[in-house]
Amino acid sequence: MLRFLSGRVLGGIASIFGASILAFVFLRAIPGDPARLVLGPLASPQAISALHKQMGLDDPIYVQYWRYVSDFFSGHWGFSYSAGQSVGQQIGSRLPASLELGLWAFLFAFVFAVLLALLSTYRHRPVIDGITRALAFIGLGTPPFWLGLMLLVVFFSWLGILPGPGSRIGDSVPLPPKITGMLTIDAILAGDPRAFLSAFVHLLLPAFSLGLASFALLVRLLRANLAEVGREPFLVVVRSKGLGRWTAHRRHALPNAFLPTLTASGLILAQLIAGSVVVEEVFNWPGVGKLVVDSILRQDFSVVQAFILLSACAYVAINLVVDLLYGVLDPRVREGAAT
Amino acid sequence: MSVVSTPPAALSLDSHPPVEDAGRWAAARSLLLGEPAAAAATIVLAILIAMAILGPIVWHKDPAAIDVGAALQHPSWAHPMGTDSSGRDILTRFDYGARLSLAVAPLVAIVGAALGTVVGLLAGVFGGWFDTISMRAMDAILAFPPLILAMAVTIGLGVGVRSATIGIIITAIPWYARLLRSDALSLRSRPFIEAARALGATRSRIVRRHVLPHVLPTLLVQGASVFGYAILTLAALGFVGLGAQPPTAEWGTMITDGLQYAITGQWWIVTFPGLGVFFAVTAANILADRVQAVLDPRAGGRA
Repeated sequence: MLRFLSGRVLGGIASIFGASILAFVFLRAIPGDPARLVLGPLASPQAISALHKQMGLDDPIYVQYWRYVSDFFSGHWGFSYSAGQSVGQQIGSRLPASLELGLWAFLFAFVFAVLLALLSTYRHRPVIDGITRALAFIGLGTPPFWLGLMLLVVFFSWLGILPGPGSRIGDSVPLPPKITGMLTIDAILAGDPRAFLSAFVHLLLPAFSLGLASFALLVRLLRANLAEVGREPFLVVVRSKGLGRWTAHRRHALPNAFLPTLTASGLILAQLIAGSVVVEEVFNWPGVGKLVVDSILRQDFSVVQAFILLSACAYVAINLVVDLLYGVLDPRVREGAAT
Repeated sequence: MSVVSTPPAALSLDSHPPVEDAGRWAAARSLLLGEPAAAAATIVLAILIAMAILGPIVWHKDPAAIDVGAALQHPSWAHPMGTDSSGRDILTRFDYGARLSLAVAPLVAIVGAALGTVVGLLAGVFGGWFDTISMRAMDAILAFPPLILAMAVTIGLGVGVRSATIGIIITAIPWYARLLRSDALSLRSRPFIEAARALGATRSRIVRRHVLPHVLPTLLVQGASVFGYAILTLAALGFVGLGAQPPTAEWGTMITDGLQYAITGQWWIVTFPGLGVFFAVTAANILADRVQAVLDPRAGGRA
């Protein structure tokens, strides 16, 4: 077990190390001259070389890389001149909005995926199965930002039944006391149903847009795994002991189908991170994704640099957790790795 | 698609009548049109390709021609998809957008496949230090959410379609490389490879004549889904301002152009380019599934 664990952790660290090199190459080494970017095209050569020294750009490349990595891991992510705030503060203040959106998007994707996968593999029902397959293809092929716009056109512009972009809660609703910064959760903690409902209604369209692709991924995997598990002999045993078909399906087939689905957690997180960048732009959602797009448009890349390496860390971390969980949940993996 | 028509014998198309050598076209036809969803996908792709090639010839207007007097017009006979805020004809821009996406997507699929195949086969066939280093490099690429790495590459190389394409290719290489490496590893000990080696075939001949034909189906399935991924990612990069730059007509940037008008009633500016992305990606995904299902009837659920 210890060998399995240390092997996976070392692999994760190696991935982060490789990722930091890639990020360094593309965001620090290749793009023009950072000093010239700061000082503008009219700066004198003396001023530029002075700034070079100050920024450490005349150091050997490995020294620069080391500084880049140690700054990142010690939390010095730089200063955003356009916002007049440190990058850490900026990302920190916007993280709750993104987390909340991602959380609801995932909940939505998970609940619908489990429901539809269960129904579409229960007995032989080609209609439900066909609808599920079609929904999965639609989810995979729809750009999340476009979906968000279309939903806004229909539910905000035409029907006027859901709130438009730019706010997380109704104007007349008092904000719940700030605990996590996630409005729905703060509202629950404060026992404020009105704030919860308002925040929830504001979340509906963005969470749906963000979650659809994850739903598609999940439902495809779950459906395939459920169909596979359904042919296993242990289900015949369970049934012959007198368990109902639906109960056997739900209680015995589903947990077994979840196990291989777990490996897709990393993919889903990646989709949520990448999707949040474009979806938050559409809904003017005050989260990290919106911050990144705004920073790109302002040519302020300090935020982007931190975000890109952060998302790689999150992605590698979740894959590591899943690997370890998998080892805990499935003894076969653990044994296989130990021999 | 002609690669489909020469599947190695081991991949006999179980669910179909035996395919004779003379039936290559029939095999391709049954692959593309044999199932309703696949047929629909083939037709949709054919329509998009026709629009990309013929559209600008039949409906020849300048995609960048600004006509302020005709701004924000509803879809009509003169402008079947309406006009945008600068009065540009959206149908024309849609066609040019299709040209761009349908050129970039196969480029990404093919160049990614070529590079990924080289890396994967070399790693699988030679093993040793090359295997270790190249797979670590692939892991580094896979450590990023693909769109995020593509963004980084595009920022590094300077915004534009060319950088975006390179970024998308880089993110696609490891998918191919990993598949090809595991294929090469599993082939290494198969009897027909051993037989070839025993007969004195050189390494490069074995790779060319025996390994490559064997991995073509894998490449095809992966290539079709990379095709869809490329279109989706190019649009996303364009949408956040890193891909095609104005006034280039690209589906993602067209959606950005219409962003502020979508909820004020001018729905058509964002609707049509998004539909283009949706149809192209979905058609590619359906065909990828179809190829997979035909080549391996047990996996991926019966169609």
